[in-house]
Amino acid sequence: MENTSSDIRQLNEKIHQASAFVDLLNMELGKVIVGQRYMVERLLIGLLAQGHVLLEGVPGLAKTLSIKSLSSAINAKFSRIQFTPDLLPADVVGTMIYNQQKNEFVVRKGPIFANFILADEINRAPAKVQSALLEAMQERQITIGDSTFKLDDPFLVLATQNPIEQEGTYTLPEAQVDRFMLKVVIGYPTKEEERHIIRQNLNPEASAPIRPVIQPADILEARKLVREVYMDEKIEKYIIDIVFATRNPEEYKLQKLKPLISYGGSPRASINLALAAKAYAFMKRRGYVIPEDVRSICFDVMRHRVGLTYEAEAENVTSENILSEILNAVEVP
Amino acid sequence: MYKQQVIRRILLSFFIGLLFPLGLLAQNTLEVTAKADSSSIRIGEQVKLHLKATVPAAVFNKPEFRLLLPIVPDSLDHFEVVTRSRVDTLTQQDMKVLQQTLTVTSFDSGHWEFPPQKFEVYGATGANSVDTLFSQPLGIDVNTVAVDTTKAFKPIKTVRAVPWNIWDYWLYIAIGAAVVLIALGLWLYFRKRPEKKPAEKLPLVTPYDLARQQLKSLKEEQLWQQGDIKQYYTRLTDILRTYFEHQFGIAALEQTSEELLKNIKPVTKLNQQRDKLRSLLAIADLAKFAKLQPTADEHEDCMTKAEEILEWTRPKEEPVAQTPGAPDEKPQTGA
Repeated sequence: MENTSSDIRQLNEKIHQASAFVDLLNMELGKVIVGQRYMVERLLIGLLAQGHVLLEGVPGLAKTLSIKSLSSAINAKFSRIQFTPDLLPADVVGTMIYNQQKNEFVVRKGPIFANFILADEINRAPAKVQSALLEAMQERQITIGDSTFKLDDPFLVLATQNPIEQEGTYTLPEAQVDRFMLKVVIGYPTKEEERHIIRQNLNPEASAPIRPVIQPADILEARKLVREVYMDEKIEKYIIDIVFATRNPEEYKLQKLKPLISYGGSPRASINLALAAKAYAFMKRRGYVIPEDVRSICFDVMRHRVGLTYEAEAENVTSENILSEILNAVEVP
Repeated sequence: MYKQQVIRRILLSFFIGLLFPLGLLAQNTLEVTAKADSSSIRIGEQVKLHLKATVPAAVFNKPEFRLLLPIVPDSLDHFEVVTRSRVDTLTQQDMKVLQQTLTVTSFDSGHWEFPPQKFEVYGATGANSVDTLFSQPLGIDVNTVAVDTTKAFKPIKTVRAVPWNIWDYWLYIAIGAAVVLIALGLWLYFRKRPEKKPAEKLPLVTPYDLARQQLKSLKEEQLWQQGDIKQYYTRLTDILRTYFEHQFGIAALEQTSEELLKNIKPVTKLNQQRDKLRSLLAIADLAKFAKLQPTADEHEDCMTKAEEILEWTRPKEEPVAQTPGAPDEKPQTGA
């Protein structure tokens, strides 16, 4: 059914009211997290668009603190899994253990049964463990023995990768990386932010604890509204143009990118870009998507979906460089 | 003593008398000779040696007659044969002369004798007769070069220049001539080719004038009056973006409204007019992406704002050429 002008106006007002919790969440998280607004914003986009987030950044950038604080602010269950080379799939999803008293096998659920999962250093565990987690992320259910358990909603996996230590790691295959809606690269805080961080950590009593400002049910409600955000066909065309430019750059007068790209974005990239743009519009308290929303989220949705050739790697060309070229060449509607 | 002299003369006369008939035979029948051009050469110098057989024509014409000239090897004692000519046959009155010339040299100094050469004659005196005739031996003095030891050694001669000959350079001359001819031919071809008509020059249109024309045509099309509001704002913003792109060299068509507002600021006087541009773009975005239906006043207001922005950013004098056949407006896509 096509939206009319009055429908969109009503939707806009509805979203304007419903998205008020975003500011509340930001305020609450701001109590303990200094800076890193970009990361927090992306976490919320993942939460609202029902997509998982892969974080890349050096240790000590408040990745764990952010997701823990977010779960506290939403009054959700949080668990952290430190991925190591000797980790087994059962350590993540759970297993059957024998109960001697009852003389039967009982299910011991793993740490994945939570609302917010922090999969720390996901590339340190072997492929079978990564697969177990990624399967759970995709299916949102776990089978242990004969029983299948649906995972709690909201369910958000935040996986981290350390970009500096590559020795003894198991790089995530492209097909599995594609399952993350966003890949966020986190940078260092500014000088001013770092000073605040020092002061806050030297006097921990001064900072107030995180209190729940919304309930998981509110998130589920917000997700429904995110799906309703109006996306004009011009915006759809813009998204398709961006994704197609990663596949066939020569059609967008970007012949020079052709030898640098080994593969472009999949249809999942288009879906996620549209969903994330809707979530971003929601967070900006709008009931419709504008090109700014697409551009704002484009790097995080696309950077892990553009494959680079050896030639590109030899020339130190990154997927961000390629995406910049594409965004500067594709006409904005 | 006298007696001995007399006996010697008698014996000599006897032997001469014996040889006399053979000499007559030789003169009347067949004669072979070997002669050198010179009897004295310097070491390494060459000398011509003529081997000749004179045969009466009657004998020569006999069917069974055959004469084999000497087969001289390449190297003899103290002599080397350098070249050999072909056997030449001449007719002199009633005689036939067969002759061959050898060029010989010697690298041994001294007096050397070129040995008698064997001529074999078949069928001269009878059907199956075989006669062998020998030429006289030839004495040749081979002298070394006299060295004046009283004089100092002379230095080694420098490399001598080869005498210039035009035929040594015929290939280069031919190539040069060919190049000159080709160049001349091309010059003549291009000189005589009909000149292209100069491209029709279109009047120069400034980005400002172009934008004004497009705004005027947008007004005349009355898009919003016909209910095509989305298309009206799409065209309006595209006209402005194209103008900014041509006028200020910024990629306005590839920028979002926010980016445009940020990037247009440093290059224009739009600081004071930025709010007008912002409100125009905001309404346009709402109309394009949120199906907003602005009022008629807002439509007019947006057009007025666009015209004002053009006036504010009007350049002094920077004409750009409008290429023939180029569309005067950006092609529209989408609804």
